[in-house]
Amino acid sequence: MKHWFGKLLGIFLVLSLMVALAACGGDEDSSKQEEKDSDSMASDDDSLEPITFTMFSADTNPSWDGMNSAVGQAIQEATGVTLEADFAIGDPKERIALMAAGGEYPDFILPKGDGDLLVDAGAMLDLTDLIEEHAPNIKAMYGDYLKRMRWSEDDHSIYFLATAGVDEEYWSPGTGFWLQHAVVEELGYPEINTVEDFENAIRTYYEKHPEIDGQPTIPLTLNADDWRMLISVTNPAVFATGGSDDGEWVVDFETQEATLHYRRPEEREYFRWLNHLNAEGLLDPEAFVQQYDQYVAKISSGRVLGLIDADWHIADAQTALREDGKYERMYGVYPATLTKDYKFATFQSSGYLAGWGIGISVNNPDPVRAIKFLDWMASDEAQILHNWGVEGEHYTIEDGKRVISPEEMEKRLSDTEYNKRTGIEVFRAYGPNWGDGVLDPSGQTYTINTPDQIKENYTEKEKEVLANYGVEMWKDLYPSADEFPVKPWGAAWQINWESDSDIALKFQRAQDTMYRRIPEAILAKPEDFDKVYDTFMDDLDKIGVEKMEADFNELLQAKIRLWND
Amino acid sequence: MEVSPEKAHTAVPVKKKKSFWKTALDQKLLYLMSIPFVIWVFVFNYLPVWGWTMAFQNFRPGRAFTEQEWVGLTHFINLFQDDYFYLVLRNTVAMSVMLLVAGFTIPIIFAVLLNEVRHSLFKRSVQTISYLPHFVSWVVVAGIVTKMLSTDGGIVNDILMALNIVDSPVQFMSKEKWFWWIVTFSDVWKEMGWNSIIFLAAMAGIDPQLYEAAKVDGAGRWRRIWHITLPGIRPTMMVILILSIGGMISIGFERQLLLGNSLVKEYSDVLELYALNYGIGLGRYSYGTAIGIFNSIVSIVLLLLANGIFKRFTKTSVM
Repeated sequence: MKHWFGKLLGIFLVLSLMVALAACGGDEDSSKQEEKDSDSMASDDDSLEPITFTMFSADTNPSWDGMNSAVGQAIQEATGVTLEADFAIGDPKERIALMAAGGEYPDFILPKGDGDLLVDAGAMLDLTDLIEEHAPNIKAMYGDYLKRMRWSEDDHSIYFLATAGVDEEYWSPGTGFWLQHAVVEELGYPEINTVEDFENAIRTYYEKHPEIDGQPTIPLTLNADDWRMLISVTNPAVFATGGSDDGEWVVDFETQEATLHYRRPEEREYFRWLNHLNAEGLLDPEAFVQQYDQYVAKISSGRVLGLIDADWHIADAQTALREDGKYERMYGVYPATLTKDYKFATFQSSGYLAGWGIGISVNNPDPVRAIKFLDWMASDEAQILHNWGVEGEHYTIEDGKRVISPEEMEKRLSDTEYNKRTGIEVFRAYGPNWGDGVLDPSGQTYTINTPDQIKENYTEKEKEVLANYGVEMWKDLYPSADEFPVKPWGAAWQINWESDSDIALKFQRAQDTMYRRIPEAILAKPEDFDKVYDTFMDDLDKIGVEKMEADFNELLQAKIRLWND
Repeated sequence: MEVSPEKAHTAVPVKKKKSFWKTALDQKLLYLMSIPFVIWVFVFNYLPVWGWTMAFQNFRPGRAFTEQEWVGLTHFINLFQDDYFYLVLRNTVAMSVMLLVAGFTIPIIFAVLLNEVRHSLFKRSVQTISYLPHFVSWVVVAGIVTKMLSTDGGIVNDILMALNIVDSPVQFMSKEKWFWWIVTFSDVWKEMGWNSIIFLAAMAGIDPQLYEAAKVDGAGRWRRIWHITLPGIRPTMMVILILSIGGMISIGFERQLLLGNSLVKEYSDVLELYALNYGIGLGRYSYGTAIGIFNSIVSIVLLLLANGIFKRFTKTSVM
């Protein structure tokens, strides 16, 4: 035992000595390199001497592996920059508040919705002049959108460069009313345009098949575990009545005034419809009690006929059904609205959402170098590197076009560690980037996502259902983006208010009330529905919701002025 | 008559002082050894009290202490004027009383019963099995409980249906009034075994001769439990009870957060959840601190009260 331990210790000593020597040698090399660099490029702006920037991101990145990957190496080679990333664990707001309290900021910060804490604390650099002087690529990519990044009406500084994909095209509806393929197949592919069509579909199928695989059929279930209720219960009320996603708000296009969306009379009718489903026994009695994992388990068992939810909520369940080979139990998505008069507006464009992004902190040792790095991230070279990888390694060029070999593509789709190993799509979020569907100078898209790729991913059953509806993709069932005007305010959920303001408190109270009353109204006896909903409205009035809306409208108007002057 | 008390009055402190320093000198090594722990307690338990100043400011991160805006008792006034605060206070107190009663008596009964078991292997296995749930996190326990009480194949409903006690599955989790009971029962299930360990240990310390003497005197099992076992663990029981009364208002929020749902919100929201949602969650650090101070003061008052009462009637004290 002792002998063995001694040996191990010896090995460790030798190893650490070697590492130390290697490190010293490396230092010498790099310092020589630096000398040479500073000699020859003293006047050159594009010096590549190694520099390390620290970075904090409010979103974790499970694929992050420092600069070790091929793409990471390529970035280092091209810019000399090493990124040391740190991610929020738990609530990012706490970390950011802590940073602001201590005054110790990383060099780059991506705070998502909590940038106001940093700006208030004077932590962020104004990038306007830096962009003007050093960043041609950034200017070219954003163009007029740069205006949208100005902080406020009083402060025209740009603190954060947006990291949402520029000019992104959307090919998947994302949300809607989901029906099992088996249901529409059996009913002869009925049109699903209104919630009534949806109800009839699940009712008819349910009556014919009260059991699926020996277990009771669930005609419709909802996902109401904590905040998920917003996605599956309250947001669909907006969509079914012709609104697009503005969070808890809905903005009248004519008057440009916002209200809490469940205060609209038409949404009362939507909730009345859910109440009616519950009374008829079509709504899962556990809808408001079950936890998210129970919800996913139910769907995965293949006995839930209909869903009202966002695609990312049911993706795991769909994958499970696919793996089990229950293709007819997977779901298609339909744009059902309350009546025929409404249009399902999920594709309505918000314009470019410039609210959240990456900023340079006042602690950054070399802001010029930092902005040049971000500028390089916006270059064609970097964009192709982020999305396609390293030429010759992850893709090849044939006839002037980038081609990913089928074997590589297979790895890319099925290997969950692929991004971590290669660095592809890992760094894209840390700088300006092009959205899906945007073409580079050679006529190819910057990202590798294309409609064809989505279609290839459909199952045979799915293709069959789509063919019977006479369309190629689910999005073709939906009204397209050009049927709606672009929202000049972007998305109302991106509008922040001061954390200790009146509106923050009232909003939280309104949310608490909503979480209680909406389920109560849906589960009430149909004759009591109006009574409960009236109480809900009264509760909101007592909170002072009118004042809150007025305050919010001021912020909204300020944003519209700021973005559109 | 007049001189002697005065003399005594002056003489005593001098003597006392002298003896204090003398003992201190004699025990200097002991004092030296305790210094790190005194520093420890000071740094981690007393220095943070400085943070209470936040409750009297409109605290904003990133500003120096001198730059903060002082607002006096505003946050406390807001707190006591908030209806919702009284709702969460009601839930907190109700649940903590239920948890205290159930979480105190049931482990004692369990420990007494287990102590009477003579088969040592059986006794030890039961003890081990019963305290294992203590190590399961609340996230998992909440999952198990909701699944067991589910109307969709939950085992409790299956049994009730099979025994024809109910006609259709009972929606346990959506009944507001039942929520407190569900929390209490799941807490008892999780902590019963663990909490009984300390009582079992106390019982192991009772002199066996007492039992033998009682037996000779003709006392049956119940008599022996009543007159020997229970009085034997009384000091332990009192200390545990006093400490749990002190902690009554800080019952945590995991149980309520994980077992609750929007239908029972009016009965499941507790004080700490309120502090989280309306304090830190909204970036109102000062408000959160005010709630924290309220919490601490109530706890100290409860602890002193309980201790005082017990000291008077049972001569047991934790201080």
